Amino acid sequence: MVDFAIYALTIIAVWAVMAISLNIQFGMTGLVNFGQILPFAIGAYAVGIATELDAPWWAGALAGLVAAPLAGLLVILPARRSSQDYWALITLGFGELFRLTMLNVPSIAGGADGVTVSRLGDRNLALGLSLALLLVAYLAAQRIGNGPLGRFLRVIREDEVLAATLGRNPMSYRSTVTAVSWMMAGAAGVLYAYVIGYIAPTSFLVTDTFIVWTAVILGGPGRNIGVVIGAAILILMSVSTRFLADWSGLPSDLVANLRLALFGLVLVLMFLFRPEGLFPETRRIRDVDGR
Amino acid sequence: MFAMRPSPSQPGGRVIQVLVNSIIYASEIAIIAVGISLSYSILRFANFAHIQYAVVGGYATYVGVRLGLPIVAAVAASAAFVGSLAILIDVLVFSRLRAIAPEGKMIVSWGVALFVRAIVASVFGGSAIILETTTVPIRFGGAIFTSLDLIVVLSTVGFMVLLHVFLYRTRTGSALRALASNYDLAVTRGIPGERMIRLMWFISGAYAAIGGSLIALETRLQPNMDLIILLPVFAAVTIGGLSNVFGAVLGALVLSLAQNVLIAVDFGSLVGADPWFVPSQYRDYIAVLAMVVVLLLRPASARRAVA
Repeated sequence: MVDFAIYALTIIAVWAVMAISLNIQFGMTGLVNFGQILPFAIGAYAVGIATELDAPWWAGALAGLVAAPLAGLLVILPARRSSQDYWALITLGFGELFRLTMLNVPSIAGGADGVTVSRLGDRNLALGLSLALLLVAYLAAQRIGNGPLGRFLRVIREDEVLAATLGRNPMSYRSTVTAVSWMMAGAAGVLYAYVIGYIAPTSFLVTDTFIVWTAVILGGPGRNIGVVIGAAILILMSVSTRFLADWSGLPSDLVANLRLALFGLVLVLMFLFRPEGLFPETRRIRDVDGR
Repeated sequence: MFAMRPSPSQPGGRVIQVLVNSIIYASEIAIIAVGISLSYSILRFANFAHIQYAVVGGYATYVGVRLGLPIVAAVAASAAFVGSLAILIDVLVFSRLRAIAPEGKMIVSWGVALFVRAIVASVFGGSAIILETTTVPIRFGGAIFTSLDLIVVLSTVGFMVLLHVFLYRTRTGSALRALASNYDLAVTRGIPGERMIRLMWFISGAYAAIGGSLIALETRLQPNMDLIILLPVFAAVTIGGLSNVFGAVLGALVLSLAQNVLIAVDFGSLVGADPWFVPSQYRDYIAVLAMVVVLLLRPASARRAVA
């Protein structure tokens, strides 16, 4: 039971980093990224490929941390002047392309069979690393959110034209946000690979992107602590699927599907009845005098 | 490698075969794509749940066949069912969110998609279902296709002509186009906006169901068929300019042609080496590539009005 609690906490921390990373993009800046699983997958596969090449562990980790933000900048490039519909489609498309490449080209990382990575043997160490990453991501996101950068990101989110008339280039801010948040997601992917010890294309489906989205919408877009709690709630539901299946006697894939249905329902219901999330973003109102 | 692709012996047969394959695939994609353009043109958001309407349509046809309906009746019943489902989802979800930003609606539509997909997978299970049909191979001008392919193409063409006549030759169709070009003005002039939106949902849902059924007949039913049709359908809609209904048809044709030509060309022989083809699972790359190219070339296309 203690082992399971440690495992659950580790996985929650990893996905909470994903939620924070999406929160910087969507909650703060208004970027609709439907391929959030891509940087995560890149981080995980960097570890997998490094393992295949017998490279040391830090080489894979470093490769993931560098490749994820670079991929983000490449993806944002074609979507530069387009509306959010297209940005969503392009990120979704690139995420799927990466998964399909890994599935169809077995020489890179085992194709559908995936790669086995040497797992972190010490469970407590894995938990410690995940919590440390979560703390770093949270502090970084808080710093961005509360500083002048975050203030301007919110201006972009609310009114891009206004942001441009203030003499700054919204696109360069978006690029910064993309690089930072994709690096976070890449780091989460690296850690995920070392915690789970196995990487395969089925772990990086479009559905997984939407679990992160549900976490952000549930917790409260724009509020870092909110999305962390949102992720915690959803991942607790996910990891307890096995127990629910045992307890109810239903087949586990049925329980897994019903869980996904519940996630979809949560996403829709939040939009209908509480669009600001469980923990709404605090409104920042300032007098001109600064009082 | 050669044996894997149909390549008739007559000279020029390969070219015709590529054209025929492109038209068949484009038909399956186009009939689903028009629904996305239709809803985008009036409500201004990309409805990701639309793909699930096609999947539900395929499964509903399967249920109809299992209940003993002839296949045509089963498809018709499925179209009516999914059209009503699209209206129901609008009444329960989208109609309450008319005022929010398009990004919000797009995210909500993913929530709906996730829900519908999970329900379909719960009810029908994860394994593939094959709809049995008897098909006759047809040879025409050096190309080979089946009687089912012919039915797929003819029914898509028929339904497109029907949609065109409806949109351009009837008062109701004009009203829909008026709503697409300027919603507020059209409503001010007495067009019943909400009622027309429900009609629009019925049409796009029914067309998606027909498309999903055609794909189910041509290939097979499985819950993850949504991922297989998602990229080509959205690529077709993007190429066509999102809100342009018949642009989506053109987009499907262009995309399908690009995909089939690229996987049919022997690139190896072109550079004087052994025969080498692009593996057919790379179709999706062409779809995403097409979206990226369209974005780079005409980023303003998102704001164009209906056909």
